[in-house]
Amino acid sequence: MRLMATSRREFGARLGALLLLPLATSGSARAAGGRTHKVEIRNFAFSPAELTIAPGDTVEWVNVDIVPHTATEQHDGAWDTGELKKGQSGKLTFDQTGTQAYYCAFHPNMKGRIQVRTA
Amino acid sequence: MALAVAAMAGCATAEKKMNDLKIAHSAYTAGNLDIRYAHMALALSETESVRRFAETMIRDHTAVNDQAVALITKLKVTPQDNPLSQALVKGASEKRNELSALRGKAFDCAYAQNELGYHQVVNKTVAGEFIPNTTQPELKSLLTNALATFKVHEGHAGKMVEGLKCG
Repeated sequence: MRLMATSRREFGARLGALLLLPLATSGSARAAGGRTHKVEIRNFAFSPAELTIAPGDTVEWVNVDIVPHTATEQHDGAWDTGELKKGQSGKLTFDQTGTQAYYCAFHPNMKGRIQVRTA
Repeated sequence: MALAVAAMAGCATAEKKMNDLKIAHSAYTAGNLDIRYAHMALALSETESVRRFAETMIRDHTAVNDQAVALITKLKVTPQDNPLSQALVKGASEKRNELSALRGKAFDCAYAQNELGYHQVVNKTVAGEFIPNTTQPELKSLLTNALATFKVHEGHAGKMVEGLKCG
């Protein structure tokens, strides 16, 4: 795990992605040198709410709202950024192809989706 | 719901032009009172949707009020108690007494309906009185962000009421 500033969080998403998508092995080849995609949490919405990334890419959620939020896998909470207070961010890396639907565990109307697919 | 809500609406109307320090005091008080309702819900309710809502109220109102404290500390000012804050405190005390006698679905429904009504009236007051009358830009900005939060709470409370099927 990389060293992060104290106001930022990073989580073991590689493990989470493996747990979440055990059947997606055929499309799970690692991309060389993943990119990082930023999702802003603002005005009780994820922006962008829909994101397409390559396997091995990282998503970083940055909360600019005044109240805490999370990005939590919607089906069974297989991955979760944990609580992100104002100014905090959380990163997850997705290794396997598939669709990841997520929401804010504190404000369930806030929803987002990540498509992980090879180009 | 009726007492706290009616008291607030009446005072907000009677005192048209509250100054920044009174607005800050009343906004902070309203948040604190909702936190107290939420602690009561966590103590008395075993319903998952009610408990989750209460936890969100504590988390969000604490975050907003912490930022209000940070702002008044930075500005070196002291919020002023006022008739609206006093009416809110009195109304909430009466409502807590009423809620404390209830259990099970009766408590859940009374708490949920109070949360919906409380947020409706607070939001109307913040939008119609507090924000237009606030002169300090950072306080106005905080109130604007807080209103966006409280509107989400109002929607969440409405769904909680629906889900409980209180009739």
